[in-house]
Amino acid sequence: MYRYDEIDRTMVSERVEEFREQVEARLSGALSEDQFKPLRLMNGVYLQLHAYMLRAAIPYGTLNARQMRVLAHIARQYDKGYGHFTTRQNIQYNWPALVDIPEILEQLADVEMHAIQTSGNCIRNTTTDPFAGAALDEVEDPRPWCELIRQWSTLHPEFTFLPRKFKIAVTGSEADRAAIGVHDIGLKLVRGETGETGFEVHAGGGQGRTPRVAVKLRGFLPKNELLAYLTAIMRVYNLAAQRDNIYKARIKILVETMGPDAFTAEVEAMYRQIRGRDLAVPAEEAARLTAFFPEPSPVDRPEGAINAPGFARWRRINVKPHKVPGRAIVVISLKPRAGAPGDATADQMDAVADLAERYGDGEIRVTKEQNLVIPHAVAAHLPAIFEGLEAAGLATANAGLASDIVTCPGLDYCNLANARSIPVAQALSAALIDRGLDEDTQGLTIKISGCINACGHHHIANIGLLGVDKKGEEVYQLTLGGVADNGAAIGKILGPGLTPDEAVEAVTACVAMFRRERRSGEVFAGTLHRIGFEPFKEAVYGQ
Amino acid sequence: MGSEAVLRDVHARIEIDTATAPETALEAGRRAGAIDVRFPGFKDGRGYSLAALIRESGYAGELRAVGDILPDQKDCLERSGFDAISPDTPSPRWQRAGFTHAYQLGIARGATDRPPVYRARALAARKEQVDALNREHSASPPQTIIAASVDAFSGRIAMLSSFGVEAALGLALLAQVDRRVPVLFLDTQRHFPQTLTYRDQLIAHLGLEDVRILTPDPAEARALDSDGKLYERDSETCCELRKVRPLGAGLEDFDAVITGRKRAHGGERQSLQPFEFDGERVMINPVAGIDPAGIAALYRQMNLPAHPLREQGYASVGCWPCTAPSAGLHARDGRWPGSDRSECGIFDQARTDRAVAARKRAVRLIG
Repeated sequence: MYRYDEIDRTMVSERVEEFREQVEARLSGALSEDQFKPLRLMNGVYLQLHAYMLRAAIPYGTLNARQMRVLAHIARQYDKGYGHFTTRQNIQYNWPALVDIPEILEQLADVEMHAIQTSGNCIRNTTTDPFAGAALDEVEDPRPWCELIRQWSTLHPEFTFLPRKFKIAVTGSEADRAAIGVHDIGLKLVRGETGETGFEVHAGGGQGRTPRVAVKLRGFLPKNELLAYLTAIMRVYNLAAQRDNIYKARIKILVETMGPDAFTAEVEAMYRQIRGRDLAVPAEEAARLTAFFPEPSPVDRPEGAINAPGFARWRRINVKPHKVPGRAIVVISLKPRAGAPGDATADQMDAVADLAERYGDGEIRVTKEQNLVIPHAVAAHLPAIFEGLEAAGLATANAGLASDIVTCPGLDYCNLANARSIPVAQALSAALIDRGLDEDTQGLTIKISGCINACGHHHIANIGLLGVDKKGEEVYQLTLGGVADNGAAIGKILGPGLTPDEAVEAVTACVAMFRRERRSGEVFAGTLHRIGFEPFKEAVYGQ
Repeated sequence: MGSEAVLRDVHARIEIDTATAPETALEAGRRAGAIDVRFPGFKDGRGYSLAALIRESGYAGELRAVGDILPDQKDCLERSGFDAISPDTPSPRWQRAGFTHAYQLGIARGATDRPPVYRARALAARKEQVDALNREHSASPPQTIIAASVDAFSGRIAMLSSFGVEAALGLALLAQVDRRVPVLFLDTQRHFPQTLTYRDQLIAHLGLEDVRILTPDPAEARALDSDGKLYERDSETCCELRKVRPLGAGLEDFDAVITGRKRAHGGERQSLQPFEFDGERVMINPVAGIDPAGIAALYRQMNLPAHPLREQGYASVGCWPCTAPSAGLHARDGRWPGSDRSECGIFDQARTDRAVAARKRAVRLIG
């Protein structure tokens, strides 16, 4: 994992001091709420329905046991004993007091964490494959480049007051577990003709009100040119994007308005103009960053197994193959039956920290599916990990199954939401599990957003639910056919809106339909393509 | 270019706002002595990119941010190229301290005040590496120094060669280590024909696989040396045009350069170390410690062909207008005869930087 040097430490502590002064200026009236709002947002502080919400960054979803314990401490000390892991690999606290926030930031800074740019119209936390550095199918570990982007995008003088928020995702493998197709910029590490690695560059993807799949700007960019190319994209966007309508201010609209070819030409011209030594990534810095992410050592011990009830099923569903012999990737589901997706109590966070430290080199990841991962678990210790997780109520064996539902906080917390997401997810998870529909659904994705901003990623779900407000009623639109990973696709609306109860029944009907109709090895998109929308429509709305 | 002919009016202050088209902003940069960029609202961040564009185009006058801006934006404003701020609403909060470091390239007036952190770290590491290499190789033979250099700076190292009278030695040693390492040759278009013939002979003889020939920019050559006799009027500018600028561009992709400089050349070269750090690149001087007798011996031992001008009394060969046979104590006494010059300027980092900056500005910006 990356460790701060004196420069990083100074930067974060100066940012904490800056924010402390900004809070004081707000409380004294030197800053108006209108002025304070973008400043607090840029430090992850939202004003929600009931209280301020603080979103702390987990850079590219990677953290260590020590950092996880601090997240637990903050949940205990300043919140109601839990935190909420988000679809952008961050953590949110829903109940902190504004006056406590500088102190919380200080505690985060002590373990090399911060809340910088977790909100606001700036470059947000870069996201990546939660299996980075562990995945069997990886071309190269993307994390050194994510860290480079983290630093470059932190307090960027030119790109801190953008037309709208800006999200960058990086993947190091073809499978693309980072959903780069629906990000403002998506980067994929690929091998070039002469064997060296570089970036395939995509831009203009996004979800929200106008979901779009990103267009490919470039098939191959030398890695040391990354900052010059990112700067070129950002500058074209910053200067040319619409600013008078927040619904048209994202880069996806600019790419669409200009046309992909014209946009690409403009970026390429700007890139040629600005590239040079000052923006080139020096080999020494690339090597320094890479050295922070060594491959874990192989373990010459056989994989462990026990006869405990549930172990075999958990092993089959939640444990993924690792590129290093004797290691395994353990996915910790934060989706217990009828639970609030992504929530973890302080005790659970501590338990994960302990297990990661004892059995997995101390490293933890957060996934965009709102689960946790011990990426470098020692396979011989899988039984001990299972038992530890079970004791903490974290051994739900549904990673990647239908009941591994993604949701935004919805109307329970968020003041942008039109409808609740969490209660629907809870009812749906219970229905799927209780009716035996969850079995053998590996890879089937269900995601719920409480409004069109799509934080719950419903557009890229195989089965998506979007909460809308219809004359004061919470109504849900059902979409089918979205895909998050390699070859991202946006789902299509199936039919008229549904009440919460109807929505739960409709989704379970779709899952049942898929289980009945699919051919061996077929994913949801394949079945849908083959049989079409009609059978699903009939199952949901009747004849 | 018509716009280049427009005179800058140093007294004119032009105001643009954040909605100004980039081309118009750049035109202001070409004409005005001072520019105000008006921010209609503090959330409108286009002004930062406009400032950066104007500064990158070489504008050196005052660039002032005016309008609805917050003290909290001071750091961003200054690092995007503004050197004056005139907010609608004054506040004691403008006195707050800024950040010590900057992760990004800052565009301040004249020069970069704080290097971006990724470069500062890399250059510090590069300097440390040079010190370590010097400790390890203070007494190493040339081939060991070359092998260690090619290993340490793989993929970002080149040899700079004049293909002059002593050049074959370094090239031959490099060929023994790795024939694929790029060799840069500055074709000044003022070389003795014998040098060009010798160059091609050596390339074939040693099997060099990647010799890159750097030539002056044709447009610059037309502008500065229309009659082809610049060397008579101003040899320094001639070197700038034909050596410093092309090399500045040719070196963009390299962090380490192997030279043929020797202490025996005299002048500034008497204190050369095998590895030197010029603040940007590693300059490697594998043959620095070898004296003329040692060079002659190695030429014989390695059976290297001699430069055709050697036997005519040239101990060092540059361009024909500025090179004479040498009868003096040091090999380079025949260079720029009758002047106090002893270097063309390619080993002067500040000059190379200026040349690269000038070249970048000469490129027209897109709108």
